Amino acid sequence: MVVRDLEALRATWRRPASRGSWLGFRGHPCGCPTERGMSWAQAILLARGLSRGWGGICGAALTGAPFSQLPPQSPRGLHCSSATHNSDSSLVPRPPEPLRKPAKALAPHEELFRQAPDGARDKASFVRAVQNFGQHNVHKRGHVDFIYLALRKMREYGVERDLAVYHLLLDVFPKEVFRPRSVFQKIFIHYPRQQECGIAVLEQMENHGLMPNKETEFLLIQIFGRKSYPMLKMVRMQLWFSRFKNINPFPVPRDLPQDPVDLARLGLRHMEPDLSARVTVYQGLGAASFHPYSSLQMPSSKDSIGTADPTEPHIVGIQSPDQQAALARHNPARPIFVEGPFSLWLRNKCVYYHILRADLLPPEEREVEEIPEEWNLYYPMQLDLDYGRSGWDDYQFDINEVEEGPIFAMCMAGAHDQATLAKWIQGLQETNPALAQIPVVFRLAASSGELLASSGLEEPSPPPPEEQEEEEDDPQRQQRGQS
Amino acid sequence: MSCCGLLRRAVAARPCRALVACAVRPRRLSTGRPSRAFAKELFLGRIEKKEVFPFPEVSQDELNEINQFVGPIEKFFTEEVDSQKIDQEGKIPKETLEKLKRLGLFGMQVPEEYGGLGLSNTMYARLGEIVSLDGSIAVTLAAHQAIGLKGLILAGTEEQKAKYLPKLASGEHIAAFCLTEPASGSDAASIQARAVLSEDKKYYLLSGSKVWITNGGLAHIFTVFAKTTVVDSDSSVKDKITAFIVERDFGGVTNGKPEDKLGICGSNTCEVHFENTRVPVENVLGEVGGGFKVAMNILNSGRFSMGSAVAGMLKKLIEMTAEYACTRKQFNRNLSEFGLIQEKFALMAQKAYVMESMAYLTAGMLDQPGFPDCSVEAAMVKVFSSEGAWQCVSEALQILGGTGYMKGYPYERMLRDSRILLIFEGTNEILRMYIALTGLQHAGRILTARIKGPWAFCSELKRGNVTTVLETIGRRLRDSLGRTVDLGLTGKLGAVHPSVADSARKLEENVYYFGRTVETLLLRFGKTIVEEQMVLKRVANILINLYGMTAVLSRASRSMRVGLRNHDHEVLLANIFCTEAYSQNLFTLSQLDKYSPENLDEQIKKVSQQVLERRAYICAHPLDQTS
Repeated sequence: MVVRDLEALRATWRRPASRGSWLGFRGHPCGCPTERGMSWAQAILLARGLSRGWGGICGAALTGAPFSQLPPQSPRGLHCSSATHNSDSSLVPRPPEPLRKPAKALAPHEELFRQAPDGARDKASFVRAVQNFGQHNVHKRGHVDFIYLALRKMREYGVERDLAVYHLLLDVFPKEVFRPRSVFQKIFIHYPRQQECGIAVLEQMENHGLMPNKETEFLLIQIFGRKSYPMLKMVRMQLWFSRFKNINPFPVPRDLPQDPVDLARLGLRHMEPDLSARVTVYQGLGAASFHPYSSLQMPSSKDSIGTADPTEPHIVGIQSPDQQAALARHNPARPIFVEGPFSLWLRNKCVYYHILRADLLPPEEREVEEIPEEWNLYYPMQLDLDYGRSGWDDYQFDINEVEEGPIFAMCMAGAHDQATLAKWIQGLQETNPALAQIPVVFRLAASSGELLASSGLEEPSPPPPEEQEEEEDDPQRQQRGQS
Repeated sequence: MSCCGLLRRAVAARPCRALVACAVRPRRLSTGRPSRAFAKELFLGRIEKKEVFPFPEVSQDELNEINQFVGPIEKFFTEEVDSQKIDQEGKIPKETLEKLKRLGLFGMQVPEEYGGLGLSNTMYARLGEIVSLDGSIAVTLAAHQAIGLKGLILAGTEEQKAKYLPKLASGEHIAAFCLTEPASGSDAASIQARAVLSEDKKYYLLSGSKVWITNGGLAHIFTVFAKTTVVDSDSSVKDKITAFIVERDFGGVTNGKPEDKLGICGSNTCEVHFENTRVPVENVLGEVGGGFKVAMNILNSGRFSMGSAVAGMLKKLIEMTAEYACTRKQFNRNLSEFGLIQEKFALMAQKAYVMESMAYLTAGMLDQPGFPDCSVEAAMVKVFSSEGAWQCVSEALQILGGTGYMKGYPYERMLRDSRILLIFEGTNEILRMYIALTGLQHAGRILTARIKGPWAFCSELKRGNVTTVLETIGRRLRDSLGRTVDLGLTGKLGAVHPSVADSARKLEENVYYFGRTVETLLLRFGKTIVEEQMVLKRVANILINLYGMTAVLSRASRSMRVGLRNHDHEVLLANIFCTEAYSQNLFTLSQLDKYSPENLDEQIKKVSQQVLERRAYICAHPLDQTS
């Protein structure tokens, strides 16, 4: 039942993640099925609404596309931008998309970024390039173009999460020049192109979850003055960042582990609400059971495979004691199912998991848990009265409970074929002897779609993907995920 | 030696009335066996005056007898028992044990015909006051006779009694009670120890491990509870618990090394293992498969004595701390002149007075003919006295400051020793459940007709039961008009003395509205109230306060009327306690109201749920920032 809920949740989840990148935490897949997960999803929707409202303000004030390639359309003297409402989608400021447009013509100042002699692309060379611009261009001619270019280059140099570098970029702007000096300048946008550029810098900071600090504020005041759109943007960032930074109750670490086994471990733990659950590596780099709290190395079920063929796909499973007990109680006459693969997004990575589940028992077969007569030595466990809870205190009546069949275990494997998953079941048998008597049915979808029941996939399903790493803005992938 | 002789003679002179009280008391679990028990009637908003007024007295002969016992034992405990040494060495010296045996303290409640002292409950409580001066000895003795051999007295056959009791009473053999297992505390269903009947049906083979057995290393006779296969009347096979008397000589009995504990270090606590121990069928205690009831009866029977034991300890503690407070000078004034210190002494005196009253009231009720069921009262005494002990010892340490914390003084040992009181013989949490649920069961039965809602009126009317309906309606009307409650305690020739009449009226008001609240709770939750532990705790707390109020009112009234020494002091204590308990009760009653602002249950549940889900304290650090 855990996983089903999760699927529904993830569907609500992905939408804001795909486009609402404005808060910087993109696409944390939600890992928990409870209602708190639901409220989290609602919060994201709310955030989306807020972002839209904010975009409306910005969109109204600024031209639709904040890119330097557009020549300033408004006559300078009036400082009036062509404030047209575009479609809703353009209201949310898009992040600069690196490498989206192949440079047909060399962008101005491109050479500054090409002249690193040793070819090293790091913070030092980026800083050098920015400084070179300042030296070569005493009058800072073309600084807006340069800043846009630098913003695009940041990721290449791996400095996109460095606040100091953003400050350096802001520092490129000439100071005091763009500050409005009269009431009218304050009312109408003063130097819109420069303000847009400033906003673009802040936006890229936002996309990478960087909180502006005092220095940012100081720079912006120096450049644009207090009553300016970049300042407004910064204040809003400061407001909403602090509100939303910890809104995700299931945080995903910023840097995901590279090792697929570790990643699988992370993903499984992310989905499993029971902290007592035990992650077992059935097959992988070193086959050892792993307990998260005691860091106890359990004797493995598959010692021999520990050093086995490195080409074999890894299998990492998770099972909680309650699930183990439920499996032991399971009626062997009823089959259980291995289903999957289902996808799980961890930041920009998609991993796939399988579940071991059973159908819900029909009501007539369910055992009523009865209280043994002689159970508690100290006080009666039930009262011998013939009336129950009154309507006042009965809160059960308006809750729509959908019961699902039990889930006994989950796993993530390097391959999604039956042979690999059979090995998982074999491994599970070591700790769940009852599994030997229960027929296991493999219901593996060829797709990476979500639920088997809701096969509303329009696209032809792609072959089961291996571990995938992809760019953040792969619309196709996300659409598939959403469907 | 001479004092022992004195004891024996004194015993011989007594009528053996206690024997009756100690006989088997068959009691069924949680069933509304008709009893006049005082506490259960409180749930209905009634005070059974006959049970508690006047305060029970003992005859002059009996009193003389008790005093004959008390003198030598008190002398022995103050002069010869070295509690510090016992605590440090982790065992009671042989000589001390021998002396205790010669004093007859190992057979206080064993009937005289089996060589015990055959004390009544009241006298047992009186001796408990002195024995408790050393925690380790008190626990050793309690494990021996309050639970260890109690099974024999309650459920043993004549042969079993004749065979084992004499040696147990003389202390030649020590008894232990083996119930707890690693996986089984109060959950009887998870007991793993097993006894299998041999093929010739002459003996059982007992196997299993028991943990935390007091006297486990010293004992010769064990009361052991184990699962046996029982064929039911409908010929279905079931696992049921059976109690056995196991001698160490049966073979296969081993024990682990004594556990190192926080307090009561001198008592012997260890694991006991049974491995294919051959227990003859004659040694089954009670019926085969009836071990659960035996265990329950044993556990329920022994609790009331904690009240007097703690009171004895507190009286000693008050003496010691008062001595300190009146001699220690700070700022040229004695500590005793500071208000905050005075307050602590008042608290200790008050607690000691209340728990003493409760304990002797309960003991007196138990000593009445007809085997009254006072298990709820006994549980209340246990809860109140153990918590009072912890609170008072802690306050005493505050008075003493650093002195109290040092190992060279007895205070820290008393603190450590008193901590166990809240845990053993059923933790206070569990006992609160017992107190509340037993009473609610009783009330629920009787109120059934009234509770089934307004529709029940119609059916009652149809049945022609007009009086019930009119009574209910009339009461509701009077309640809404704001009535003054009069349950007949006060007034001319009332049960209580006029000097505590105000307190008595407070008690009456509390009792009356407690009854109303119980009715509302039953109406709200019905039998699912078992799941509402926070509600049950409050119900139990109110009931404990009510019982304490009754006990002090009864005792103070008697003291006034008889003209005991310092009776005005008693009146003061009684009035203080009643006033405090009254406002506590009012607050708790308002917490039980579903929509009152004092009722924080929902928030409390939410907090604990969030903490437990993450298994950690989840607030961010106060120095954390969002950026």
